[in-house]
Amino acid sequence: MATAGLWMLLVAAVLMVATGLPAWILLNAVAMVAAAIGVAAGVVPAALFTALPSRLLSLLESDLLQALPLYVFMGALLNRLPLAQALFGVARRALARTGAGAPLAGLALGGLLAPMNGSVGAGVSMFSHLLHPRLVQAGVPTAHSAALVAVASTLGVVIPPSLVLILLGDAMMRAHTEALNATHAAVRIINEQDMFRGALLPALVVALLCAWVAWRMNRSRGAAEVPAAPRASEWITAAATLLLISGLLGAVTLGYLYAVEAAAAGGVALLLYALGARLLTPARLRAILRDTLAVTGALFALLVGATVFTLVLRAFETDRWVADAIGALGGGPFTVLATVLGTIALCAFVLDAFEMIFVVIPVVMPPLLLRVPDATWVAVLTMLILQSSFLLPPFGYAVMMVRNRLAHAGHALELHAYARACMPFLLAQLAVLALVLVFPRLSGPGPEPIASAPANQPTPSDADLSELLRRQLEAPAPAAGGQK
Amino acid sequence: MSESPRPDSSPASAVWLDRLVDAIDAAAMWLVLPLSLLLFLQWPLRDLVHAYSREANDAAQILFALYVSVAITAATRARTHLAADVLAHRLPAAWRAHLERAGAMLVLLPWSVYVIWTGTPMAWRALVALEAFGETLNPGYYLIKLALILLATLVALQALLVGLRPAAARLN
Repeated sequence: MATAGLWMLLVAAVLMVATGLPAWILLNAVAMVAAAIGVAAGVVPAALFTALPSRLLSLLESDLLQALPLYVFMGALLNRLPLAQALFGVARRALARTGAGAPLAGLALGGLLAPMNGSVGAGVSMFSHLLHPRLVQAGVPTAHSAALVAVASTLGVVIPPSLVLILLGDAMMRAHTEALNATHAAVRIINEQDMFRGALLPALVVALLCAWVAWRMNRSRGAAEVPAAPRASEWITAAATLLLISGLLGAVTLGYLYAVEAAAAGGVALLLYALGARLLTPARLRAILRDTLAVTGALFALLVGATVFTLVLRAFETDRWVADAIGALGGGPFTVLATVLGTIALCAFVLDAFEMIFVVIPVVMPPLLLRVPDATWVAVLTMLILQSSFLLPPFGYAVMMVRNRLAHAGHALELHAYARACMPFLLAQLAVLALVLVFPRLSGPGPEPIASAPANQPTPSDADLSELLRRQLEAPAPAAGGQK
Repeated sequence: MSESPRPDSSPASAVWLDRLVDAIDAAAMWLVLPLSLLLFLQWPLRDLVHAYSREANDAAQILFALYVSVAITAATRARTHLAADVLAHRLPAAWRAHLERAGAMLVLLPWSVYVIWTGTPMAWRALVALEAFGETLNPGYYLIKLALILLATLVALQALLVGLRPAAARLN
């Protein structure tokens, strides 16, 4: 029954695609059915599930997750106030000389706003509404515009300090702790800041390459583009917003501010600006607050679903089975890394970044980090492979979400042209992935020793490492009267 | 964002329940304002005033727990939950309505009842003892445990509302 968790994952993925029901409901549904079967078959102790409230409570008291509503609040303020439009208009005008002002402005807006969206799905929803009509109006063909929306929506996966990176950083920290507890290696456990710094250079290269691709694809259309000159107030608004957002994001990335405090400061500053500029009508404020509550709820529900799902998955000991399977893989660390990244890429066809972080990463990362100890490098490769998978036509998550979203809005999208428009961006991302794969130092200096290890200590074998991890993953002792 | 259809032809209890959940959503949405303010103030309180930052953090923790407890149901009502609508958008509307109802009645209702059943003793003990935050001893930690019961209760109520919604409204 140890493979039950893999079947659960497969069934959940099929149901998500086939039914269109919210992912959090299906994660709960599959977990409940699997738990019932496990209890009926005597494989899983029923008392184990009484731990569910405690696990859910840990979500409610998480300091890190406080960033979630704050990021969403900032995103909603930017979206509902005329700030995003001002930013787009000013960027388009400023970049008009390149001949591809609108596409480049769209990507720039994606780079600024996507880190605050929290999910690719939310990004697609925002940019389909915000960017697509403006890009088409600027003369960008529908297929190219859709590809730009898909790319902009996935930028939040790689550009620090996005919500995705914050949560991936937390998941990697836990995985690294598990791996180090197993090996007793004397290296520092990675943290959020390592993730941000590791992601910075690859993300910059991704953004620049995507901008270059967008410019190459659209520069010939630039002659027809004559954007209206923004008013002086719009220039000032856009510059102030840009300074505020990039200053806060930069302060978090460089470690001067916690993500939660920066997001709170950004929200308060935008709110004060809107009040001062008399932009905040009661109706608009209520719309912003409603959006924030609803989007926060959507993201938090995924965490709840993933928490229930992983509790059942671990009850079946699938995590240990996966650890053993990865430990038994032959061919050296590179083969193991390629296998795990390939699995993550496949899962990313149907799972959004949040689901990946909370369902898949905790299972596959600890055993991978036993074989490939540079946790920051692995994390950066993971986020790059995630972003590439989301953009792989025709089944990539972002690619399909954009297509469906535009179809709902009455914009038919010819798949072949759309796929062709996505391909150069995908190749650019794969090029960065290959670069980071070949030159790990692009993601940072590697594991930092915290003490000198004894020189004559034997190097543990893969079998030893698997056994060590197995012991680490042993379930804690049951509470009195708890499990059978 | 599309709002969920109102159960106009539903039993009076369903209409009353719908309004109650609406009112809770409408009240909770404002919590993000003090939450942002408290978490923003943490920074000057810690680095400039050198006091009260832990109090601000604990108060924000309570607000956060209450906020997200209501937010899940608000997302259901606003239809913002993330879903892979890759193939399902081709399904007939009636099928999708049945699926939605099945998800509410067969998954969310039993799930939330289970969470209430297993979580209430923990929340009750915390309430009776007026449990404080472990590290700072600031009061109010029991509210976070109560928020878990609130979360599950609202999910259960919303599942009932979807289940009780007349077929015509479900197809909207």
